[in-house]
Amino acid sequence: MERQAFSLRKWVKSRKGQQTIIILAFMIIPLLLLFTFTYLPFGQMVQFSFFKMKYSTPVDKRVFVGWQNYIDVFKRKDCFSALKLSGYYIIGALFQLALALYLATILSFKTKGGSVFKALMFFPFLISGIAIGFIFKFFYTRGFVFDTVLQWCGFNLENLPYWLKDQRINNIALVATSVWRYFGQNMVLFIGAIMSVDKEMYEAADLDGANKFQQFFYIILPSIKTIVTLNVIMSITGSLSAFEPPYVITGGANGTGTYFVIMNEIAHVSQKVGLASAMAVVLLMIIFAATILQKLFFKYVFRNAYEDSEVKHKKRVKAAKGVN
Amino acid sequence: MKLKKVMAVAMAATMVVSLAGCGSKADAPAADGDTATEAGDAETEDTADDAGTEDAAADGLISYSDLKLGEDLTDLTATITLFNHRTDLQNADMPNKQWDEYLADFNQMYPNITVEVTTDTDYAESALLRLQGGDWGDIMMIPAVDAADLSTYFLSYGDLETLQNEVRFADQWSYDGQVYGIPSTGTAQGVVYNKKVFEEAGVTELPKTPDEFIAALKAIKDKFGDEVVPLYTNYAAGWTMGAWDAYIGGTATGDPAFQNQKMLHMSNPFADQGNGAGVYNVYKILYDAVAQGLTEDDYTTTDWEGCKGMINSGKIGCMVLGSWAFPQMRDAGENGDDIGYFSFPITVDGKQYASAGPDYNFGINVNADETNQQASLIFVKWMTEKSGFSYNEGGLPISLSDNNYPDVYSAFDGIEMVANEPSVAGEEDLLNNLNADSELNFNAGGDAKVQAIIEHAANGDMSYDDIIAEWNQKWTDAQATEGVEITE
Repeated sequence: MERQAFSLRKWVKSRKGQQTIIILAFMIIPLLLLFTFTYLPFGQMVQFSFFKMKYSTPVDKRVFVGWQNYIDVFKRKDCFSALKLSGYYIIGALFQLALALYLATILSFKTKGGSVFKALMFFPFLISGIAIGFIFKFFYTRGFVFDTVLQWCGFNLENLPYWLKDQRINNIALVATSVWRYFGQNMVLFIGAIMSVDKEMYEAADLDGANKFQQFFYIILPSIKTIVTLNVIMSITGSLSAFEPPYVITGGANGTGTYFVIMNEIAHVSQKVGLASAMAVVLLMIIFAATILQKLFFKYVFRNAYEDSEVKHKKRVKAAKGVN
Repeated sequence: MKLKKVMAVAMAATMVVSLAGCGSKADAPAADGDTATEAGDAETEDTADDAGTEDAAADGLISYSDLKLGEDLTDLTATITLFNHRTDLQNADMPNKQWDEYLADFNQMYPNITVEVTTDTDYAESALLRLQGGDWGDIMMIPAVDAADLSTYFLSYGDLETLQNEVRFADQWSYDGQVYGIPSTGTAQGVVYNKKVFEEAGVTELPKTPDEFIAALKAIKDKFGDEVVPLYTNYAAGWTMGAWDAYIGGTATGDPAFQNQKMLHMSNPFADQGNGAGVYNVYKILYDAVAQGLTEDDYTTTDWEGCKGMINSGKIGCMVLGSWAFPQMRDAGENGDDIGYFSFPITVDGKQYASAGPDYNFGINVNADETNQQASLIFVKWMTEKSGFSYNEGGLPISLSDNNYPDVYSAFDGIEMVANEPSVAGEEDLLNNLNADSELNFNAGGDAKVQAIIEHAANGDMSYDDIIAEWNQKWTDAQATEGVEITE
């Protein structure tokens, strides 16, 4: 065989060369984009969090302050009290998921007007968050929609609270708008998952005499656990970073400023970019922690049933063997 | 085979694009520091005056102050251009007097000077672009340029000392003793109110002090009960709360140097000075009014668009807003005649002051030829003295010899106008820095602190003096951070 000198042109045109080029291109281009548009800005933000600076401060005038911004995040009253508000949103999210799961289960069986209900309940998700904010601003205004409806039901206006003014309930009112918006979306996701459950399982369960509750807990729930886990993680992460309802409806005033709203105020009104960046990094850590905890929790809850039975089964086998 | 290649490339491209679409939440927040408030009122630009510049006035020109309109140069022939922000004056649907009408009037006195007007909706931006591009024409409204650069772009109208006796706000665009801009009109800050409501409640004399103001609000409350809101706070809109900051300077102290110079070096500038004036008493009015139930029932759901019709129809007694709000309130319903404007109820040592400032200023191209510069000078002086422009636009008279106040300022006679002086050289950024460090943000989007006053007053969980003590503490800390020398 004749040994040919290596020719780049030929190699590029060859099948192998083409393969290599495409593989590299598929790898490098997305990684490059990912780096440029995600990790580079993120790295920059982490860098900002160690400086005292405004947006307009030239690079050489930025003052390095070390961990001071992080210390401030933990020391300031407004930053962490804002995280407490997330408690309202987390409780709201859990309620929203329960409601969505309940409705999804009902609607995934044959229900009269099922698709109409599905559409009606999914509809709020299609409206922009800003528009929802404006809708509820008027909804909660004293003597407007909500108060009028309650008066039809026999309530007296004087006994009704000020939905957005009373600091004891205004956060609940805001969370309700968020639940109203998202439960339809959760429901549709749950319905999709429930649809994929093998219908024969229900028949078998029916034959075995299982009632609907047992069917739900032993067939449906284990089959859709991935979607449930995903939804819970998304909802709780979303709760920690709640922004739209308080920002649009109350502007974050009157004790409704969530962590993000406070962060926005600090970054864009007071121009403390370093402090706001530190807040963002801290929140990221909290979200990481929350996600990992949830993962572990669900691993424990869902794996348990199978592992338990498997372990028991093995034990039984062993025991049987031992007897023999 | 070729088709496959094309498809592979297309696939790669799509994947790349879709990946790029996966934005990250962790991105640094957009570098958008502008907190644009709706207020179109007086802007006080920082102007520094140090370092020398040459006298830009050319020799052959008749200067602004020497020019006698209608006598000098009435036969001058020139075509000049005027670039400005008033697109509404080129729109025949608007009720205002149009540019064409002004120019027709001008040509009766100066028939051979043709003025070509161009306007732009995005004026602030495009004016700067044109300025840098050079060859922008003859007259423009001066955009946000550095004071030190004024002489490279604009012709000097003369020295500050002379012009200060001719026009108001002459120092707005002055540098090194030379004046480069003559204001087109000016505004003063006060309180917009419904005259009928005040009259029917028995308030015949407009309140001059905080106590008189609270008494007037009480009189309205006693007379109308729940029918009329004596003082509508506009809490929910946010920026309307920041509007209270406009009164801490000239209005509250009568001192043009307070806001941009003295406040920066004072220890505890917000504390009660014991004279019934000062920053302390500005916000105290708000706290007291809310604490005594003289504001709207549910402040969290106030409606900015709705309030215009409400004050017009007499459902609101008054609102603390800049004078730019007056025409909006007047035109929001059938009772425009009921809307009035009075000076903020604070009296400093027996005298009332009002913070005032100019709108855009006319600037003349220093590089235009001499004939055009002369024609431009004539036009600017005519606009100031003869056109009635400022009066028609509801602004303060610019010429000092003109005492013809428009409706909105009819209650301002005898009140001294105070234009806040810019910061001193070397401290141009200090107020901004103190604002940012203290997070009080006076006149810079600091709506939250004023909203908090209402919340604390309504919930009764913090006294006014405690709020002020907290502000003073924040200010002191900020001064320490910036290393400010405390002189008072």
